[in-house]
Amino acid sequence: MSYQAETTALTDINLKIPKGDFVFLTGQSGAGKSTLLKLLYAELSPTRGQVLIDGVNLTRVPRSQIPFLRRSIGVVFQDYKLLPNRTVLENVAITLEVLGWGKRDIGKKVFHILKQMGLEDKINSTPLRLSGGEQQRVALARALVNDPKILIADEPTGNLDEENKEQILALFKEANIRGTTVVVATHDRRVIENSHRRVIRLEKGRILEVPDVQG
Amino acid sequence: MSRGNRSVRPKLGQEGVLGRLTYFFSRAMANLRQNVFVSAVTVGTISLALLIASLFLLVYVNLEGMAEGWSDKVQVTAYFDQEPPPLAVAALKERVQAIPGTAKVVFVSQVEAEKRLRGRLKGQESLLEGITPDVLPASLEISLDRKHRENEAVSAYVRSLKQISGIAEVQYGEEWVKRFNSFMNLFRLMGALLGGFMTIAVLFIVSNTIKLTIYARKEELELLGLVGATRFFIKAPFLIEGVLQGAAGAVISLVALLGCYFAFLKNAGNFLGINPASAGLSFLPNSHLVAIVFGGVLLGFIGSLTSLKRFIHV
Repeated sequence: MSYQAETTALTDINLKIPKGDFVFLTGQSGAGKSTLLKLLYAELSPTRGQVLIDGVNLTRVPRSQIPFLRRSIGVVFQDYKLLPNRTVLENVAITLEVLGWGKRDIGKKVFHILKQMGLEDKINSTPLRLSGGEQQRVALARALVNDPKILIADEPTGNLDEENKEQILALFKEANIRGTTVVVATHDRRVIENSHRRVIRLEKGRILEVPDVQG
Repeated sequence: MSRGNRSVRPKLGQEGVLGRLTYFFSRAMANLRQNVFVSAVTVGTISLALLIASLFLLVYVNLEGMAEGWSDKVQVTAYFDQEPPPLAVAALKERVQAIPGTAKVVFVSQVEAEKRLRGRLKGQESLLEGITPDVLPASLEISLDRKHRENEAVSAYVRSLKQISGIAEVQYGEEWVKRFNSFMNLFRLMGALLGGFMTIAVLFIVSNTIKLTIYARKEELELLGLVGATRFFIKAPFLIEGVLQGAAGAVISLVALLGCYFAFLKNAGNFLGINPASAGLSFLPNSHLVAIVFGGVLLGFIGSLTSLKRFIHV
């Protein structure tokens, strides 16, 4: 994966993540973690090679079909990407509105997931009135509200204190238990050590080690 | 990675074209509420731009009307070598009326001509001593319809008039007609140029304002794409917003124009003394008002459409 002729973000990546897996993607800043994640939700396409999700080759899918593919992937962005002028409810509802859900069903489902995240009393707040941890959980709620097959998170614990980190991680694990494949990019060692999951280490755009697939 | 135990999704709430439209419309209304400042800036710019354009149109339409009024002065006078007998006058008038381009024909007898001359020289009657009606020729005063007031049309008309027997001379202020027509051509050219430049300026200002307001919401566009919205789904509410803003801007500009009209322009004709025939400037005709509202809607729609292209990467 190259951005320009002279800079290559990822090289010789050969990676398979089985269904229902929970993997951490780690490495220093600039190692290529975010680029790899962007390849997974088709924000970028590789200069060479292929990316397959559930048997579908993303590099061959027509551009017009990409939105439909993204609907089965929930993404928690590093900067959350919450819309500041919409309420928590509206921010989470976006995912379901895109799918064409009815207003009443959206209300029920969003309230349910926000309750799971412990945010039911913040439903009408705007993101700027929330703490970092709360914003992160809203972003996670938006990613999980339509029960995606895959959950991708880019540095989800970056700006959080220990208590919030654990809370977020527990929510990832819950989603994984319910069957969602989880891919988390982080450079936070403590998070990785405490969770005992498979770790893919990247350095300068190459995979350093891929431990055996467990379970 | 297909999953069998996935919970059954509720039925789609916005199925069908009407359902979708309702959703897009309510989304557009919510967006307008949530981006009040940005929307107000767009509506304000559109209304100001359209107000300037419609003020120009108002002045242009009035000047055009005034100039059309002046062209009523394009009158042809046909003098007879001898006054025709009263019975022949009606036949002569009919013959003239039959020439294409004739609007109105008035017969001026020798007596009438003398009466007019006396009227004009009131107070200096001594000049008229010894003058009898038979010195002045009888004539036909002919008004032409609008299509026949151009230079060449008038010349052609005069040629056919001269073929009528008994008509000795035809006068029509050739120089005046020429000057008037070249003034009208210049006026129309200036109008078209100014109008054209103004349209380009309005398009430029409005499309750039919309571009800026959409730029301010580029995160929203990006996010919608990332959660799986199709290009159409992202665009539709923005386009509806553009149309609503355009319509609102147009209506506000017309209200402001009406205000300006009643406050300053209604009596400007008297003040300037340009057209004593009318009491003042007239307001724009309904067809122009509809065109301005439609123009606003089109501005909002096209402005949004072209700006969105730049920011949607789905």
